[in-house]
Amino acid sequence: MAERHHRKMDRRSFMRRAGGTALALPTASAILAACSKPGSTGDATGSSGPVDVARPGDPVTLPLNGEPIPTDTPIEAGATLQVYNWSDYFYRKVLAEFEEQYDVKIEWTTFNNMEEGIQKLVAGQVKPDVFFPTTDYISRLVQTDLLQPLNHDLLPNMANNVWPSFSEPGPWYDQGWQYTVPYVIYTTGVAYRRDHIDDSLAQEKGYELLWDPEYTGKISYYDSYRDALGMAMLRNGDLDPNSGDPAVIDRAREAVSELVGPLQGKLTINGTYAKLPEDEYYVTQAWSGDIVGAQWYLPRGTGTDVLGYWYPDDNKGLIGNDTMVIPTTAQNPRLAHEFLNFFLDKKWGYENFVNYNGYQPPFTTIEPDTLISEKVVPPSLNRAIVTEEMFTKAYVQGQLSADVDDLWLDAWDQIQAGS
Amino acid sequence: MAATSTSDPPAPTRRQKKKAKASANEASGAWYPRWYWPSFTVPGIVWLALLFLLPFFTVLSVAFGTVDPIFRQPLPVYQPWWWSFATFNETLSKFYAGDAIYQGPLIRTFAYVFAASFICLVVGYAVAYYAARYAGKYRVLVLILLISPFWISYLMRIYAWQSLLQPDGYVNDILTGLHIVGEPVNWLAGKHITVILGLVYGYIPFMILPLFGSLDRINQSMLEAGRDLGGSPFETFRRVTLPLSRPAILAGLVIVSLPMFGDYYTNNLLGTTQTSMFGNLIDNAVTQAGRGPEAGSLVIILMIIVIVPMLYYLHETKRAAAAR
Amino acid sequence: MSEMGATAGTAAEATKRQSWFKNPWRKPYFLEGVTVLYLLWSLVPVVIAVIFSFNGGRSRSAWQGFSLRWWTADPFDSLFHNPSLRQAMIQTFKLSSVASVVAVVLGTLFAIGIDRWHGRPARGANFTMLLSFVVPEIILGVSLFLLFTQLLKNTVTLGTGAQWLGLIAFQISYPVIIVRARLLTIGPEYEEAAMDLGATPTQAIRKALLPLLFPAILASFAVTFADTVDDFVTVRYLSGKADSEPLSVKIYGAARASPTPAVNAAATVMLIATLLVIVVGYLIYRRISRGTGDSDVGSFAQL
Repeated sequence: MAERHHRKMDRRSFMRRAGGTALALPTASAILAACSKPGSTGDATGSSGPVDVARPGDPVTLPLNGEPIPTDTPIEAGATLQVYNWSDYFYRKVLAEFEEQYDVKIEWTTFNNMEEGIQKLVAGQVKPDVFFPTTDYISRLVQTDLLQPLNHDLLPNMANNVWPSFSEPGPWYDQGWQYTVPYVIYTTGVAYRRDHIDDSLAQEKGYELLWDPEYTGKISYYDSYRDALGMAMLRNGDLDPNSGDPAVIDRAREAVSELVGPLQGKLTINGTYAKLPEDEYYVTQAWSGDIVGAQWYLPRGTGTDVLGYWYPDDNKGLIGNDTMVIPTTAQNPRLAHEFLNFFLDKKWGYENFVNYNGYQPPFTTIEPDTLISEKVVPPSLNRAIVTEEMFTKAYVQGQLSADVDDLWLDAWDQIQAGS
Repeated sequence: MAATSTSDPPAPTRRQKKKAKASANEASGAWYPRWYWPSFTVPGIVWLALLFLLPFFTVLSVAFGTVDPIFRQPLPVYQPWWWSFATFNETLSKFYAGDAIYQGPLIRTFAYVFAASFICLVVGYAVAYYAARYAGKYRVLVLILLISPFWISYLMRIYAWQSLLQPDGYVNDILTGLHIVGEPVNWLAGKHITVILGLVYGYIPFMILPLFGSLDRINQSMLEAGRDLGGSPFETFRRVTLPLSRPAILAGLVIVSLPMFGDYYTNNLLGTTQTSMFGNLIDNAVTQAGRGPEAGSLVIILMIIVIVPMLYYLHETKRAAAAR
Repeated sequence: MSEMGATAGTAAEATKRQSWFKNPWRKPYFLEGVTVLYLLWSLVPVVIAVIFSFNGGRSRSAWQGFSLRWWTADPFDSLFHNPSLRQAMIQTFKLSSVASVVAVVLGTLFAIGIDRWHGRPARGANFTMLLSFVVPEIILGVSLFLLFTQLLKNTVTLGTGAQWLGLIAFQISYPVIIVRARLLTIGPEYEEAAMDLGATPTQAIRKALLPLLFPAILASFAVTFADTVDDFVTVRYLSGKADSEPLSVKIYGAARASPTPAVNAAATVMLIATLLVIVVGYLIYRRISRGTGDSDVGSFAQL
């Protein structure tokens, strides 16, 4: 096992030395390809923290801070698996199925946004066995020894089901997938009610739809500073959602202030899947999984064709993926590996997606084209389907250096204080 | 030379008598060791010291400390000689300098608290007056109903209002049905009046109870005396009832307004960022990376804002007690 | 003639109005109206919220028929089937029962001590007590949060233990105030009499004073219990994993997000719990103080 690891690393480091942003490789590695990072210098320079900031065009191999657990570790029997995740992000039936199969209990603690989740984990207030961070925190978590390396032999579903680019050579934030496996992939666009807003109008306006005074009081936006300011930057035409330019951040702040102020937009985490279907909001900032999941929150008698999703035609919008990791404080690491493998299973991961979650797992067994014909995704939401190709053009929000993060947080503070 | 008492066993012994005389401050006629009563208070004091003073010291250490470079979690500095006041000054300046981004919430908080306390006082006084003086045979029932909000969670009551104020809730149904408004009003979209009335709704029982207690104890004969001396009902009220209920008014105002300064959940449930209060500033700062020292500073500032009226109130009650 | 009659008529009316206005024994229509309106405004929303817990649909503002769906029927989201809500109910009772008992014990001791002990430290302790009653809870919550995550981070972890400590600290003032008020009406004669009869000071307290204080102790237990069930500011900051979140925190989280009528059901359970405790407390109080002339609701309420 250790040997295999070692060998893999060698290959990777060779590729890196050879300029391994993998530009020359076929589509599968498109995820790693130079993701467009036009515009400002961002925070690539002058990073005051001691952390290597990773970007899709600048992948990083994280240092190994220990050994993964041995393959022959027995599965902890009768344990209570501690899972720490967003709320409404699991299909309870799949959890129940896992509990039954392994004869264990699952305790699911939730957080409302990533900052809260990270804070509780870092402070040791929650000691989960499985955690679901976004990609911009992975480096820091590894650097502070909060994550343990994964044993690849215990996770056969990665090779069986998942897009190869996530394992060979691995994602930009964790080459060689030493600490992470992907959970779901998603884009961030604009969801709207098609019974109030025409498709053609949405097509024409794009992000501007959220800032249209016509829908005052019927707008919702994410209560998370990266998403909120990031989309505002794209709307303003500043095409770098990792920008450290104070002027860019200021413009974004003003845009968001306008949205929550005069336009009475609501900052909430579930406006898309909970309120849009009930016709309380007409237009919302939406992760693709949220709008797909919204179809299951529609009141009886309302068809799925009232839901619409806009994403830039040239695919130059926001994209990302969530990961599953095992913290070092995990009490049941062997069981945690089983849990990860379970959600990478083509049956159970798919169940989670199509019956409840709405978020697409990056499985090779899922054909984006058939998602519509199989009635998983309504035809009006075709733009919410995520393809590998999208990863070549779209923008990923990576980690910010401490200085830049401060600028973003100051702007967010001002928005929250209602100024 | 004390007389020897050899005959009466139940009578206090000579030693006890001496002790009783010596400790004139203590309960008369009985003898307790000097540590006796204080020892009763020790567990409570220890508890409070641990859970008030120690936390407050931690707040100071966090506010005057720093953050870790990677995750920006608060790093408190426990030695006062190394305390840094940079963040505290920066936080203070957010109230008046430059963009003054905290000025809005501060002014709003004062405005809401004053408005809500005033409404609590006026409505509360009327209700307490009725219950105390006029309720007659329904007195017990009215009293029970008045007290019942104490047993109902504040959260549940505000949540109940949140449900009623939805665009499709009953408030809008009634308003549109009676044609008072043309179409449903979005009450929860950052309206000041919603938050103010929410605060009133939540805190008014705390005003009613002390007022009721005080008005109830006003002797009927005093009022009759006022009438006998030729005063109209209004004058009697102004010159007899009002002054007699003044301590209770003060108590009620303190009990109602001081906690309101730290309220953040009423706004979170009934308002938006546009109606944010001081409490929201603290709540937002505590849960955000890199803002630990700022959260500590805000807590200190709030403490200062609240201590001043508190001290005034204590001074007033001591004065009143001394005068009696 | 008629003119004079007319003016006399209006004058008579005017005097009648004036005398009605000046009559201090008239029925206070205005105040009565205000009180009735206030009571309706105060209690009707809660009644509606309870009713909506039986709503057939997902909405908590639009009635969609009667159903037990959110109480027992729905296999995943109903109150009794949702494991996190069930756990929250257990946590609520766990927190409240322990916290109220300890707070009442500490508070009663404190009240007795304060009442009898005259001196500077007594006033200082008194001040701290009053302060804990009036200080905004967010200050306490955040301070304790920082205390347990920084200074005491290796001694106390966030969760039930920390929540108990925080709750008790905040609640001590209620028993102190209630018991103290009662103590003021009880003079030292009873203990003196007991000691004259040969009791030690401690025995005097136990056998003479405490029974007299019992109604007040009971009342303070009921009040403290009710208050701890409802508390959520402190408890929320001090909660750790999911299983240490009581109902109040779950309701707050859901109310900010997307509540279903199951939240109404949870709130109703909290309501019933506190109501039960108050009623039982009152009944015991009546039994104990039968014959002392103190047994009506009024005096219970005024404790």
